[in-house]
Amino acid sequence: MALIELKDVSKLYGFGDATSVALDEVNLSIEQGECVAVMGPSGSGKSTLMNIIGLLDRPTHGDYTLNSRQVSHLGPNQRAKYRRDRIGFIFQSSNLLPRLTALDNIALPLLYKGLSVGRRNRRAWDMLERVGLGDRAYYYPRQLSGGQAQSIAIARALVNTPELIIADEPTGNLDSTSSRLVMELLSEIHKTGNTVIFVTHNPELTRFATRVVYMQDGAIRYDEQTKLGEVGRYARSVMYAVPETTEDDDLSGVSAIMGVLGKRAEAADKAKQKPKAKRKAPKRKKATKI
Amino acid sequence: MRRNNFKLAYQSLKAAKARSLLTMLGIIIGVLAVVLVVEIGQGIKGQISGQFASYGKNVIIVQPGVNDEPGLSLLTGLSGTNGTLLTPNDLSTVQKTPGITEAVPLAVGSGSMTGNYTVTSPFIVATTTQFPDIVNQSFMAGGFFDPNSRTVALGVNIAQKLFNNAEPLGEELTWRGQRFLVSGVYNYFNAPPLSLEANFDNAVFVPYSTAQQISGGSLAIYQILARSSSPSNAGQTVKSVNSALVAAHGGAHDVTVARATDSSTMSNQTIHLLTLLVAGAAIIALIVGGVGIMDVMLVSVTERMHEIGLRKAIGATNHQIMRQFMAEAFMLSFIGAVVGDALSAAGVGLIRAYTSIQAILVWQIMVAAPLIAIGIGMFFGSMPALKAARKDPIDALRHE
Repeated sequence: MALIELKDVSKLYGFGDATSVALDEVNLSIEQGECVAVMGPSGSGKSTLMNIIGLLDRPTHGDYTLNSRQVSHLGPNQRAKYRRDRIGFIFQSSNLLPRLTALDNIALPLLYKGLSVGRRNRRAWDMLERVGLGDRAYYYPRQLSGGQAQSIAIARALVNTPELIIADEPTGNLDSTSSRLVMELLSEIHKTGNTVIFVTHNPELTRFATRVVYMQDGAIRYDEQTKLGEVGRYARSVMYAVPETTEDDDLSGVSAIMGVLGKRAEAADKAKQKPKAKRKAPKRKKATKI
Repeated sequence: MRRNNFKLAYQSLKAAKARSLLTMLGIIIGVLAVVLVVEIGQGIKGQISGQFASYGKNVIIVQPGVNDEPGLSLLTGLSGTNGTLLTPNDLSTVQKTPGITEAVPLAVGSGSMTGNYTVTSPFIVATTTQFPDIVNQSFMAGGFFDPNSRTVALGVNIAQKLFNNAEPLGEELTWRGQRFLVSGVYNYFNAPPLSLEANFDNAVFVPYSTAQQISGGSLAIYQILARSSSPSNAGQTVKSVNSALVAAHGGAHDVTVARATDSSTMSNQTIHLLTLLVAGAAIIALIVGGVGIMDVMLVSVTERMHEIGLRKAIGATNHQIMRQFMAEAFMLSFIGAVVGDALSAAGVGLIRAYTSIQAILVWQIMVAAPLIAIGIGMFFGSMPALKAARKDPIDALRHE
């Protein structure tokens, strides 16, 4: 039995003529220990899928079985407890509570579980060491860099030893160095046997995944197994058709691309001259006005 | 968990200091008003019963009218007289009642008086020689009038007005064309503020019989002070005086007879009612304070929607979110209540120091008012807290 079983899961918003379909009868099963990258354009239903898998949202139709248990019709408090004990969340931004220290932020899920202060802090410290920020325990989120804050968020997601880690664009707001740091952390977690699902727009990051799911219009269009360290082929070819350019092209910049575009180059030349004429015209106007 | 809630509540209140302070202001003013009004009321009541207590335990007061409905008399201003006054016959009825050793009438005379200066309408009390004895009043100078000669005794204030002299002994004053000699000046009377009782410091005391002659026998008695033979039989004597007067009035219950130490006198009831009324108004202030808490917390919940969503995503149940915000409501109202209490204590000190009102600290209200305030705060806080708790986590998370 797979860890996650989605059967004909749909999510609709609104009703009547104004109904919009966020998820359209999605079937998906994810095994324990997989690392799934979910890709797709904005509005393709990635986040809705994450919210349903993460028990933040309930499907309008369909069944969701998590760890052999039917969870699509649990009440809000039941789902809260599931989230607390079995699922770790990492969001794109504003992930930490600004008024709590890094340590307190990590310990938050344990607080809601009702653990004593001593046990909470001990486990939060362990997690802090694990993400390599032992020296930032008493920093507030605003004093941390984006990468560090995201690492703290990962530590918080892991503190309850969940079965499932869900990351909704964890690197969306980070520079490439921080992205790399965060993804390596996630992949490390995956290697220790956790199941990780993450949403990304960056095909490079599918290197860290064992499986890539590509979504469009609320449905799964393509689903491929990849090897760790390899970029998903389909995703790369379909979604990101970047023209092959050399280093010289990059150095010569915009003009080179203009050259490649041929006919358009002439138009571009005209455009280069036009601004001069335009620049003069307003001046004259100004003079007459004054 | 609980300690964490309070820590969190404290942090969030500290983060918006000015707003929290303004919110608390509502509760502070509410508690301050309720407590202070009750304490002033109690203080004045104490002073009034203190005044009569100084009369002695065996003194009995007879007043016209029955104050079954203090509310009516307060609102109409016809305080208890019901149009009737006591007559000289009533005085003799009281004097003849077994158990009464002596009885003095208190009647109001009218007309201007002239000493060195003229006072056009002084407060003139016609009474008999036992008066200072019954009310336990000492003299600053001289003694009480001699009933057989034309002499008067003065309160301190009126002595100043008539003669601009605190001890005008032997001076002459004219009332209704008759000349009187000043035989004595009283010390200050133990008079409470806001009391409906007459302030004897402003009174000129004239002999009853003389006053009656001068004003042609039309002198109305507004109060009879009597003394029973001993404090132990005073209660019994009150009853017999009452029944004697009822019999004399042909069965009509139109007088009030009570021991001076009884707290159920007219003034006391009036003050009591007044206290209730003003305290009621103050409680409305408290409720408005509660509405203020609701307001601020609604803003706070909206501002922290993202935080709520995050907490829920991490695994906070509705109940846990609810408790977090209830802790905030509790803290706002608790601090407000304590500060209000403290200010009321300070207010009592100031009132005692700078006015004649002897307000007292009443611990019952100092405990009850804050508890009510906290209750109101929690009640009004529960609405925003519920809103936060029931918020859908995804909606909340989208909120930035």
